[in-house]
Amino acid sequence: MAGNKGRGRASFTFNIEAIGFARGEKLPDVVLKPPPLYPDTDYKPVPLKAGEAEEYMLALKQEFRATMKRTPYFMDTEEEKQEIERYSKRYLKSYKEDDLEWVPDWRRLPREMMPRKKLTKAGPKHQKTKGTAKVAKVMSTVDVLKKIEDLEKKGDEEKSDEETDEKEGGKGKRKDDDDDEDDEAADEQEEYDEEEQEEENDYINSYFDNGDDFGAESDDNMDEATY
Amino acid sequence: MTQAEIKLCSLLLQEHFGEIVDKIGTHLIRTGSQPLRAVVHDTGTSLDQVKKALCVLIQHNLVTYQMHKRGIVEYEAHCSRILRILRYPRYIYTAKTLYSDTGELIVEELLLNGKMTMSAVVKKVADRLTETMEDGKTMDYSEVSSTFCRLADTHFVQRCPLVPDPPESADAQPPPPAPTLSINEKDMYLVPKLNLIGKGKRRRSSDDDAAGEPRPKRAKQTAESKEPIPDDGIYWQANLDRFHQHFRDQSIVSAVANRMDQTSSEIVRTMLRMSEITTSSCAPFTQPLSSNEIFRSLPVGYNISKQVLDQYLTLLADDPLEFVGKSGDSGGGMYVINLHKALASLAMATLESIVQERFGSRCARIFRLVLRKKHLEQKQVEDFAMIPAKEAKDMLYKLLSENLISLQEIPKTPDHAPSRTFYLYTVNSLSAARMLLRRCYKSIANLIERRQFETKENKRLLEKSQRVEAILASMQATGAEEAQLQEIEEMITAPERQQLESLKRNVNKLDASEIQVDETIFVLESYTESTMKRA
Repeated sequence: MAGNKGRGRASFTFNIEAIGFARGEKLPDVVLKPPPLYPDTDYKPVPLKAGEAEEYMLALKQEFRATMKRTPYFMDTEEEKQEIERYSKRYLKSYKEDDLEWVPDWRRLPREMMPRKKLTKAGPKHQKTKGTAKVAKVMSTVDVLKKIEDLEKKGDEEKSDEETDEKEGGKGKRKDDDDDEDDEAADEQEEYDEEEQEEENDYINSYFDNGDDFGAESDDNMDEATY
Repeated sequence: MTQAEIKLCSLLLQEHFGEIVDKIGTHLIRTGSQPLRAVVHDTGTSLDQVKKALCVLIQHNLVTYQMHKRGIVEYEAHCSRILRILRYPRYIYTAKTLYSDTGELIVEELLLNGKMTMSAVVKKVADRLTETMEDGKTMDYSEVSSTFCRLADTHFVQRCPLVPDPPESADAQPPPPAPTLSINEKDMYLVPKLNLIGKGKRRRSSDDDAAGEPRPKRAKQTAESKEPIPDDGIYWQANLDRFHQHFRDQSIVSAVANRMDQTSSEIVRTMLRMSEITTSSCAPFTQPLSSNEIFRSLPVGYNISKQVLDQYLTLLADDPLEFVGKSGDSGGGMYVINLHKALASLAMATLESIVQERFGSRCARIFRLVLRKKHLEQKQVEDFAMIPAKEAKDMLYKLLSENLISLQEIPKTPDHAPSRTFYLYTVNSLSAARMLLRRCYKSIANLIERRQFETKENKRLLEKSQRVEAILASMQATGAEEAQLQEIEEMITAPERQQLESLKRNVNKLDASEIQVDETIFVLESYTESTMKRA
């Protein structure tokens, strides 16, 4: 009830003796922060069991882990293809046991698990067109370089005409790509974007004079000494 | 699923199946049942990879699928099953003790591949055994088959649920998006009648030859797999519940042996063996067994008289641990084993030992006291434990802050005034067990992380030593001189060797700790499951 002995005086709402503190005794400090991340332990842990069974199980565990890594069930993230084959990698051949790709029993799995078939049908046709488009692109750049070398000064206009022709041919093929790519998986879009970005602008590569030719031209006249 | 469990599952999946499967599996655990599209969208991985990861997880019984209305299939991950991966070495070792090397390899292959047909298992195990045998000897398929049958008879391996037979009618509806797998209880351990004749093949050790060699071998293997498999569609998996039952029996028997003597533990073992098949794994006590039956089933080596057996049984039944109880007097006395009580005692013993090792023997005394007496006041604790008030108070608060002991308020007046309320200390066994279980999961996660850290730190050194070993092996195969081998070995300097040694020691210690923490997890989990099933 109204048992407080005066306002402003610190007192607990319960009998302090009930939890074991004598009256007037110093109460333990209040903890103001979370417990430490690596607390000290007064008692050190008991050593591990060591016996034949334990050692055998340890060996089993480590072997099991190593064997799992070699099964076809282990899906590693694909490492980026290294351009140079490192010598050290040669001796670190990882033996993939069961070289055959594991094929699950499709009867036991839901039908949506099977890899889509329609991709393969569109694949060869699309790849062919893409291949030719790419080849055409490569060819066109090689052609450009050749033509810069051979028909250096004369036939600038000729060159640009041929450029635009090939470019239009390339663009036509690109339109085919568009149609095929409507139902493509996402991972093939990267290549497509690359292609598109490179040929998006209408600038004719050789027409843009960024000053490189200037240096090349001046080199030709290096026969004469400069003072 | 607690955070600790999810973290541990994620680490286990990553170690055994790779990053992609880890991402998918962890996502499924966190979000529960999800259809394929949702998984693809939320995890941001490509459709192909998600499909492959789900196939791997389903193959290993870690994820199951269910068809819902409107033809949507949802996938669900089983966190507890993923945590069983920690116990695989124990299962394999148990199979070895019971059925020797053949059994060990059968169980190992089943755990490695999730599910397999019997013929595939037999073939693989025979091949592996043949390699370890001396030259000229091979392992016969029939031996492996007979061990497989024995494993099936004792329920250590079981059949997976089967695909239903396709309907006969020609104008059948299109097949459902997902098969509904089902299995009949009686068929679960039925071994198909196969006529497996053959011997194990030794794999030719031509790994060092040029890469041209493996190609024709691979082509040969694909040709072999085209043969029709006689038991197609019947898959087997390891029955983990049976192994758990075995571990539980083992721990009860050893507890009795510690408390009493060898003979009584043998009697208890006999009783447990007799009730293996008749009692389900989650029953609170076994079926009653009469003393005459027990006498008849004792192992041949034990020739104790009937009277001595009766005396032992009476002793066991009167023991305060209450592992064995007397349920009637017919047939010379009907006795049961109290499984639930046994598990509870084992779990409490584990708790007590944990308190002792963490806080000291005085704290352990207080804990045991409160556990036995159920509810005690502050003053009573001091008196019964015979510990000075100040220390007792200190220890009680320490245990209270760790949530091993809790306070129960009993008000004297309806207004719950603190000065007129009893505060009693009590141990809530179930919640204390759960809390320690969660702590075990966290410790194993820490151990795995530390092990991965140690391995990553010394990755360069490990790769170098692997390379040197590979070079040594190839040189030995082509016959090199001693001096050359010596030179190659010296590529690894002495301090590097020391570093490798200490790394190996640390990794072994961490691995061994994981296995032993798992034993504690087993005891605590069995207790919590048994209590939940009773409630």
